[in-house]
Formats: sequence, C-alpha cells, structure tokens
Amino acid sequence: MPTLDIEKIKKEIIDSQIWRSVFRGGVWKDTPRDRAGHIIGNVWLHLHPVKVRPRALSWLYSWGMGGISFALYLSLTLTGVALMFYYRPTIGLAYRDIKDLEFAVTLGMFLRNAHRWAAQAMVVAVIAHMVRVFLTGAYKKPREFNWGIGVLLLTLTLFLSFTGYLLPWDQLAIWAVTVGTNMAGATPILGNEGPLGSLVGMRINNDVRFTLLGGTMVGENTLLRFYVMHCVAVPLVVGILLILHFWRIRKDSFSAAPYQANEEKLDVWPHLVKREYIAAAATTLFIMVWSILQNAPLEAIANPNVTTNPSKAPWYFVGLQELLVYFDPWIAGVVMPGLIIVGLIAIPYIDTNPKGVGYYAWKERSFANTLFLLGVVMWFALIFIGYACRGPNYAWYWPWESWYGLKAAPPATWSVFGPKGVGALPMLLGIPLLGAVSGAWMLLPKLIQKELNGKKTMGAFLGLVALLAAAGMAMGKMGPVQGAFLLFFTGSSFYFGFVLPQRHIRALDWPRYLVTMVLVVSTMSVLLKMCARLAFNIKYVLTIPSISMNI
Amino acid sequence: MSYRKLFYAFNAAMLAVFVWALAVDFFVEWRPYQATYYKMAAEVIEKRAAAEKDPKKAADIKAEARAMRHSPMEIKQIIVGDLGRFDRCVTCHVGMDEYTNPSLKNDFKENPYKSHPKIDESLVKAHPFTKFGCTSCHSGQGLATTKEAAHGWVKHWEKPMLKGDHIQGACVKCHGDFENLKGAEVAAKGKKLFNQHGCQGCHAINGWGGVVSVELGDIADKPFERIAGFNFKRVRIDGKELPDEHHNSHWNIQNWIRGHLVNDPAHNTPNDPFAKLNAEPIAPSGMPDFTKELSREDADAITAYLSGMTKEEMIPYRWHVPAPPAREPAFADSKSHGHFVFQKYGCAGCHGMDAKQGRRRFNALGAGQKEYDEKMAEKDLFDNMQLGAEPTLPDLMGTYTHEELVKKISGGVPATDAKKWNPKGPMPMIYMPAWKDKISKKELDDLATWLLSIAKKDESGF
Repeated sequence: MPTLDIEKIKKEIIDSQIWRSVFRGGVWKDTPRDRAGHIIGNVWLHLHPVKVRPRALSWLYSWGMGGISFALYLSLTLTGVALMFYYRPTIGLAYRDIKDLEFAVTLGMFLRNAHRWAAQAMVVAVIAHMVRVFLTGAYKKPREFNWGIGVLLLTLTLFLSFTGYLLPWDQLAIWAVTVGTNMAGATPILGNEGPLGSLVGMRINNDVRFTLLGGTMVGENTLLRFYVMHCVAVPLVVGILLILHFWRIRKDSFSAAPYQANEEKLDVWPHLVKREYIAAAATTLFIMVWSILQNAPLEAIANPNVTTNPSKAPWYFVGLQELLVYFDPWIAGVVMPGLIIVGLIAIPYIDTNPKGVGYYAWKERSFANTLFLLGVVMWFALIFIGYACRGPNYAWYWPWESWYGLKAAPPATWSVFGPKGVGALPMLLGIPLLGAVSGAWMLLPKLIQKELNGKKTMGAFLGLVALLAAAGMAMGKMGPVQGAFLLFFTGSSFYFGFVLPQRHIRALDWPRYLVTMVLVVSTMSVLLKMCARLAFNIKYVLTIPSISMNI
Repeated sequence: MSYRKLFYAFNAAMLAVFVWALAVDFFVEWRPYQATYYKMAAEVIEKRAAAEKDPKKAADIKAEARAMRHSPMEIKQIIVGDLGRFDRCVTCHVGMDEYTNPSLKNDFKENPYKSHPKIDESLVKAHPFTKFGCTSCHSGQGLATTKEAAHGWVKHWEKPMLKGDHIQGACVKCHGDFENLKGAEVAAKGKKLFNQHGCQGCHAINGWGGVVSVELGDIADKPFERIAGFNFKRVRIDGKELPDEHHNSHWNIQNWIRGHLVNDPAHNTPNDPFAKLNAEPIAPSGMPDFTKELSREDADAITAYLSGMTKEEMIPYRWHVPAPPAREPAFADSKSHGHFVFQKYGCAGCHGMDAKQGRRRFNALGAGQKEYDEKMAEKDLFDNMQLGAEPTLPDLMGTYTHEELVKKISGGVPATDAKKWNPKGPMPMIYMPAWKDKISKKELDDLATWLLSIAKKDESGF
C-alpha cells in the first residue's frame, strides 16, 4: 500500500507553475527573509513595515482601536454592498425594501443589523482610537499632519453614519435627519436662519441647508442625495484619506512608542499580523453575535406631517442637540462642532510640550490630558443627557421615569443683556461688558507672570461665589440647589479655564496661547451656559435680534 | 492562550456564529405551518386515493398527493396591484392560497390551516383574493412573515388586524351604500348611533357635520404620535386599563375611539383645570360623557363604523361604490320636520337627546352649582365646574320669540361669550357654531317651531 507523503505533495503544489505564478516565494521556511517577503511581497500587507518595535505591539499601548476601526470599515463595506442589492432610494420603495430585508430576504435582517451595529461600533472605535492617540502623545512631531487626517476621518465617520441614518425612511430616520440638517440652516452667513444670513440674501430655498437637502424639507431629493453620499461619495473620500493615513503611519516609523536601549525589533509577520487578525476576528464575532441577538430599529414609515415627540438626532449627535437647549443653533450646530474639528486639528501645532511622546504621561502632560479628557467627558455627558434624560417636549425625564408622567411646562426664560423690552439690562452695556470679561479671561492667565497658588486662588474664588450665592439666597433670589449649581459650574470653569492655564501655559508664545485660550474659554462657556439655563432660566446672556445674534 | 490557539478558536467561533445566523434565518415561524399544511393536505388526497376503485385514477391521485407533500417551502404572496401592496398572509394561511388550494375550500378547523370562512357567500365571492388581497379588508402588516408582525401586534405598525365586527369598517372604506349591505349591519348601526346621539354636531365626516371638534373622515389613520401616551394610558375598556404596551394589539385606534365612548372622555383627557402644569388652566376634554347612553355594544358599533374612516390607504376610485342619493322623509307638519332637523345636524350632541337635558360644559354655569367661593377645596371646585352645562333648551326657549330663536341659531354663540363659574378656572370648551350657512331657511324655521313647541310655559302669569 503506497503511503501518502503529504510533505511531498505540498512541495509539488507549491513548486508548480500555477502556484508560483500566483504567490511569490517558495516553500515557507520561516526564515527572517521569508517573513519579510510575506510583508513586502503582498500588496495588502506591505503598508506595514517589515519590523516593528515590541512596545508598539502591546494591547495596553494601542488598544487595537485603529485596526478595529478599519476592520469595521471593511465589514461595513461588505455588508453595505450586499444591502445595496436590495435597496432602492425612493420614498415609495425604501421603507418597503427594508421590510423585505427583515421578512423575505435570506440573511437580510442579519445583514442590516450587522451594518447598523458595525456603524455604531465604528463611531465608538474611532473616538476611542483618537483618545488613545492623544493620551500617548502620538500626534506630536512628525505626526501632526496624520492627526489632522485622523480628525477628518472621524468627522467623515460621523457623517457616513448620519447619511446612512436616513436610508430606512422611517420616522426615526426622517426626524433625526431633520434635527441634524436644520442646524445647517443656522450657519452664519450661509444659512437662512444664521446670523447675517438674511443680510446676504439667504432664503430657505437657496441656503446651505437647501443644498444639503435638495429641497426645503427632508424629502425624495434628500433621500437620493444621502444615498449617493453614503454609498459613493463619502466612502471614496474616506478611502483616499485612509490610504494617506496608513501611508503616513508607515512613513512616520509606524509607532510613536519610544526606542529603548538594547531593543530588538520584531518581525511584523507574524507578531503584528496575528494581533491584527485576532482583533478583527473578535470585532467581527462581536458584531455577528450582536446582530443575531438585537434587531436594528425600524419605526413607522416616514411621515413629514407627523413629528415624533421627542425627535432626537442619532445618538452621537444628541450631545450637539442637547447643546441646542443652551445655545442658538448657529452656536450649537455650527460654531461648536466647527471649533471641535478645527481645535482638534490645531492641537499638535499648539502643544509644544516635547515630553510624553509614545507613552501615557499623566504628570508630564497634565494640562493637555486634563483639558482633552474634560472635552471628551463633556461630549459624552451631553450625549447621556440628551439620549437618556430627555422625554416628550424635550423635558427632563430621569432614565427611570415613565414618559407617561406629565411634566410642568418649562418656566419662562429671560435674557440678561438685550435691546429695550427684551433684555433685563441694556444691550449697549452688555456688548462691552461681555467683551471685557472674555478678553480679561483670555489674557489674564498669561499677563499674571507669577504662578498663582492653586489652592488659595480656588479658595478665594469659591468663597466669592459662595458669598454671592448666600447674598442671593438671603435676598430670596435663589435656592440652595441653584447655589450648588452656581458653585459647581463656575468653580469648575474657573479651575479648568483659569487656574490650570495660568499654571501651565502662561509661558506659551502669544499666537499659540491665544488659540489655546479660545478653545478653553469656548469649552467653559458651555459649562457656564448650562448653569445659566438649567439653574437660572437664562435664555441668552446677550441678544441682538436685529442680526439674529444671540449668545 | 497562544495566538495560534486564539486563531483557531476565533475562526471556529465565527463559523459557528455564521451557522447560527443561518439557522435563525432558516427556522422561521412560517416554515412549520407550511410544512404541516402540505402534510395535512396530502393526507386528505391520499384518503381520496384509497377510496378510488379505478387503479389508474388512484395512481394519478397518489401522484397528486405526492406533489402536495413535496411542495416547495416558499414565501407566498398576493400582489394587490391597485394598492401597491404585497400580502404574504398566504405563506402561513396556505388554505387561502389559490395556487396551492384552487378550490379555496378545505375541512381543516384550525388557523392557519383552515380555508377562508363563508367562501361561497357573495360577500367573499365579490372580493376575489387575487384582486383585493388580505389587508385591504383585514388590515395588518401584509409584508411581514411572522405571526406577531403580520397581525400587526408590534410596535410601530399602527393598523393591526381588525378584530371581530370591526372588520365591517372595511366595508365603509369603499361602499357608500354600506347601510344596505348584508354583513355590514354593525357598521350601519354604528352610523345610526353616531347620528342619533349628535356626534356629527361637533365632528364632521368628510366635510359633513360641525366644526367644533376634529373631522373624523380620516380618524382611522390617526398617528399614535398624536395621541399623548399619558391619555391613552388612562383609557379603560370594561373597567380595565389597557396593558402598557404602546402600539400593539391593545393600543390601537379602535381602543382609542371606543375609549371615548365607554369612558367619560374627561377622564381620558383630564388636561390641567387648575393650571398645575401650565401657565393657564385648560379644561378637560369637552366631549360629553356618553357612558349612560351607549352600551358596550353600541360603542363597538360606532368604533366599527369609524374604523373605515381612512384616507391614506389610497383606495382606487374603481373600488368605490357610491351611496344612493340621500332622500329625506316627508313630514306632515313643520313640528315633526323641526324635530328631524334637530337630529340631522347633531344638536343632540350638546343639548341632549330630544333637547331634554343640556350636556356637560366644564366650568360654564349649570344647574345645582353652589355659589363660587375662592376658599372652596379643590375637589369642591372641580365638582362644581363639572356641573357646568350647555343650555337645557325647554327651560330657556320660553323667553324667545320665533325670530329671535332663528337669529340665535343662525349666528351661534362665540366661545368667548362663555360665562365661567370659576373665574380662575379654564375657559369652557365647546361653543354654539353659527348655523346660517349649514341649515337652510325652511329647516331653520321648522326647527324653531319645534323648539318653541317643547318650551316650558311660564306659568307664573307674567
């Protein structure tokens, strides 16, 4: 009986002309040359370097979030293309096609669920990736540009998710997109409801919102526009930016993790590739199980005449929607997101601290880390409030409260500075006063050359606020809850917005210092306005109705 | 664990989960129903084969049974071209699928196997399934292929299957002459009650009727988003609150309509009479309490009638059967004609059946109210505001001349003329609309004549 020599058969297959014409390299001998050849000889893998520093491989260092984001992007492409076979972007067919996916198409529901959940997971993964890169200082020289591309990719991820949100054409979709796109109408100058918009001839049917929607309300054109953006235009841009992002990672020596003495580099094949595979596999598995256990939401068919109450934006934009409670749409929907994007891109250029590149450095980068994490925490806190604590009429309902319970109508609001009859105090006093306060706030930390004693300064400030609150309470103008709000919000704004900058960045050169302070003061203005609105029912600190300018 | 082991473990897990997903996709509810149907139908045919004497014919019948037993498992649907609908109900209700069961008859007793009841009756014969599908009469979610979703007992499907007599609402959708149809008796009774009790005095249907409250011509399409959950939760049917499941077999438009008839509507929609939640007080629902006039059956009949009030279903004009021209009975004298006019325009809605007793008008003046006193307890205030009423006409008419009465009805009484019992309470809802463009001159005259005839005479001698 002839024995089967598997090794021999394997060798013959691998040495055959067909095999060799397809795969470069011969029988695998696991030499360094073979390992390098695996990376160099493969069009997909050669975006990797051949060797990598061991520090870069640590899960605790990288969290694997960049790779996981890309794995999710790939699975979104696959499921998305599969879904395109079943979906027609017209208002007569879209909703029915989604129903067909659920009830008639083989694996249709699974595909839709996987696409939906992978999209949500990708938003989380990309944000987590950004947080990790920030905390390890991996955006610093020479990686400033790649960080900027990353910020754009994050923005496009959100936009992809947002455009996809409309496609099922149900009540959830149409109203979430209505909330999101209405903010575009409030863009300064370019939007018909934004400051100065009417002065340059913006109307509801020619402004930037009209361009986005292809109409004055979410309708057939919007669906087609969002479909094309979602399936073709944006993925194309994301693809181009991804290639650039990966290429720069490779060119910028792959990882920011610092060299160590006597460090021996490891082969990317198999050390990095196997980790990437496991991360991608675990992610896929997670999405698959999630997709089996939980169906993607689908509400009643879109009806432009019936507004849902409450109407909420997709969860990742609910934070911005919550900002609408405190600010006019041009600030909440345009200026704030704009500042976030521009501010993030600016970070590598204003952060001159040479320390903390490639490792977690709490002590060495306490200012940068604290302010950045404060921003992230505020972003998610606002999302939590908007998503979990807002019920019918956008009134405050605790997560455990039934929405069937009735809430009192919100108390009347008032404005501090405004023209006669609108503001409690005259507008012409408010403009210079507000300018002076924010100017002083921006400049003082640097102008006070000597470092202030943090504890004493905070103590003095809190004492002053407490005195104010006590006076207010004594006069019957505020209650203890309002006092606590005042103390907490002004205290934290003063600490994060004044004491910390004074301690850490007063030595920065003027341009960098001013850009940083603009970002810091804007962040604190959110906290202060939240306090003003929630505790004191202040709608605007300053209102200039003639040019739709309200702060 | 080494990465090699992880590699195998994850690959195996992904494969397993994919098989799991396939299994979830494959083992769906409709499969066992369809398989059982084929088996049951094949057995029936086999019995026929066993009884057949002629061996050649028996072989043919056996082949037929075999074919039935091995029919393909598939999603079956009826395409209703006129409505652009796809009704997949026959995927489970195979006995009602003309391709599997051309006779549309079988002896099975249980759902989903049994054939359509009354298949030989003209009502069903006149509506061939291939043309009308299922949901155009029964409602429900035709595209769905699971029991709960298809019957519409799920969130976000606002037209669940019509239960029991409510299906007669479907006749109302197309048949203007439904009152003369066999099988639509309950809906016809509903319409009669609707008009008898004066609902049309406030609620117009397709433009006919009063404008005091909402038009009901599309009430069956009312989106649940427009019904406050707080109010729906207070609806009681047979004394019980509806299960707390938004948008399903209990929270549907039928129960919302019925809820207005078997409850005091002011209980469902209490609003805010003491301005606890709003800056201004808001009176409870202005709709009168009909619980003493209408039985549960009456309420169901009205509900069935109103279930047919839909506009969004885009029923093609070819399906519509016009109503016969309305003919009014002839009257011997103007008094009895006047009584008919009172009925016709729904005056009973506010002034009570035969004008005997004015209905509730919250916080208006009414009989039996105490003197308003600011210091009254809230309950006393509420009870007295509840006693506010529309005018009881016989008590009032005696002071009017014929001309004054005609003028009063023609011009109506604006809502702002209302006198509040509690000056701090809400504005009374409901008002007397101006009828001059609705009621013709002759009708108005006769109505006034009838009203004056029932007026209580002032016996005091003045």
